[in-house]
Amino acid sequence: MEAVIVENLVKRFKDVVAVNGVSFKIMRGEIFSLLGPNGAGKTTTIHIIATILKPTSGKVVVFGHDAVREADMVRKKIGIVFQDPSLDNQLTAYDNLYVHGRLYGLRGRELEEKIYELLEFVDLKEYANKQVRYFSGGMKRRLELARGLMSNPEMLILDEPTIGLDPQSRAKIWDYIRELRRRYNVTILMTTHYMDEAEELADRIAIMDHGRIIAMGTADDLKSMLGSDVIYVKFDKEVPEGICTTLPSLRSCKKIGVDTLEILVENATKSLPEVLSNIYVNGYKIIEVSYKRPTLNEVFLHLTGRELRDSLESNPIMQRRRRWR
Amino acid sequence: MSFMDLSPFIAMVYRQVKRWWSARSRVITTIINPLIWIIFLGLGWGAVFQPGSINSPSIPGVPVNVIAKTIEEYFNRLFGGIDYITFMVSGMAAMTVFMTSFLGGISVIWDKQFGYLKETLVAPAPRWLVITGRIVGDSIVNTIQSLIIILLGFAITTRINPIGVPVALVYLFITSIAFSSLGVIIALKLGSIEGFQMIVNLLTMPLMFMSGVFYPVNTMPDWMKIFAQYNPLSYAVHSVRYWLTGADVGLDYMNPLTDTTILTGAAIILLAIAGWAFNKATIEE
Repeated sequence: MEAVIVENLVKRFKDVVAVNGVSFKIMRGEIFSLLGPNGAGKTTTIHIIATILKPTSGKVVVFGHDAVREADMVRKKIGIVFQDPSLDNQLTAYDNLYVHGRLYGLRGRELEEKIYELLEFVDLKEYANKQVRYFSGGMKRRLELARGLMSNPEMLILDEPTIGLDPQSRAKIWDYIRELRRRYNVTILMTTHYMDEAEELADRIAIMDHGRIIAMGTADDLKSMLGSDVIYVKFDKEVPEGICTTLPSLRSCKKIGVDTLEILVENATKSLPEVLSNIYVNGYKIIEVSYKRPTLNEVFLHLTGRELRDSLESNPIMQRRRRWR
Repeated sequence: MSFMDLSPFIAMVYRQVKRWWSARSRVITTIINPLIWIIFLGLGWGAVFQPGSINSPSIPGVPVNVIAKTIEEYFNRLFGGIDYITFMVSGMAAMTVFMTSFLGGISVIWDKQFGYLKETLVAPAPRWLVITGRIVGDSIVNTIQSLIIILLGFAITTRINPIGVPVALVYLFITSIAFSSLGVIIALKLGSIEGFQMIVNLLTMPLMFMSGVFYPVNTMPDWMKIFAQYNPLSYAVHSVRYWLTGADVGLDYMNPLTDTTILTGAAIILLAIAGWAFNKATIEE
């Protein structure tokens, strides 16, 4: 059964179309990830699902309730962790959860117990009475996770849950996300621009760019779009016209940058010598060649013709690529 | 209305009061300003209105001390039968509430910038209830701060009536609801601290000077009286002064009943507008 149905969603701000005809479904109990660069429309999409933005057109149904007409019903069923911190720094961890619980109608013993249960879950119980302004980024994130769970939501929305965190904190947050799904049986909708994060956590991934979903499926589905191996060839100048027709035994050949060619083959180690000698024979100069098994990064590259703009440095996958000169 | 329904209201009252309490040392900064007014303007002008030993103009046949006494009497009557410092202190209690309430709007802008506003916008609670909780929480804090001014007043003048204090606090609370709402309305319309500060400077000083805090409303020039008449703060100043000192200085029709009606009316209307503005608030991107 579906937790969320999004049909043909469009959101237009003054002069920008942030979301341009997006449709997808999220199943109950699933971890669904919107993956894409900043400005792709992910956050706008989840803000509409969370009822804090109104769509320009299209339909959003969350657990059977329309996100525009029955916003209050939707709000009762979801918890959200925003991309930017939204804790009250001048309150203690306990008070942040207390106020949140109260806003959602909890009170008394039930509220008290829930607060301590969740503080314990995110390992912040000993800091319950410390003001949040003394917390590290990772601790704040964990507290926000706890806060999102206060109202026993059926779905938790996480907007870039590990943005700006160090590797240890990221790994820890991932553990919590997996564990909270298991323990609280909650559906999770998350956005991320880290491909490893989507691959690590999500059951299904929708790749978004320029307000559209350009591919959707499991990580394996997406990777199998590309076949087995990807070869990148970088020329000293522009990719020569018609170069693809001169190359043998390949699945696909595509120019993905001014000077970069992407070639999909069954087996790179076997095809590479042939590919290279064909290029040399035609008198072109290569300045860099690399190949790898496709990851989501290559899928994204293939679909959009450029790398994810925001994860070039921090993406560990990139560093594993073998290179020659 | 069941208790359950009021939960979001209690949440926000709790938050505002707890925030203040956790930074209670900052109370100093909120009382330092009125204290400066009281000390310099109050004591400075106070001596002018009580010529005492200073040479008074001499009128042939009338002893100088009689003239000085007459001048003092004259001013005392203008200030409603109290000396100037008492006049100031009682007005200052109302002014403190006015200023702190108005400036409370800044915290709405902080919340906007630090993302906490989103947290309250996404809650399944009625928005008007959330913002009412916030305004009431702020008003409790502001009333406590004005109580501190009143207590300081006891140290400066002997003319404050302790029995009137609780009644004055009720008026101060209502005043705070009105001006906190106004602060919230302006803050929701403006995005930046700078813009808010500008509006505050533009608005608070004239409102303050045309309220009778520093001089009686009834001796103002006619045009100023008209502004004072439409300034809710005038009624706050009148009522608080009345209950604290018994001085009845104001326009002819000002009395506890008109004060109550006008202040309560202003509070309800402004609170309703704040609720409406908060209801319409979305997160801009």
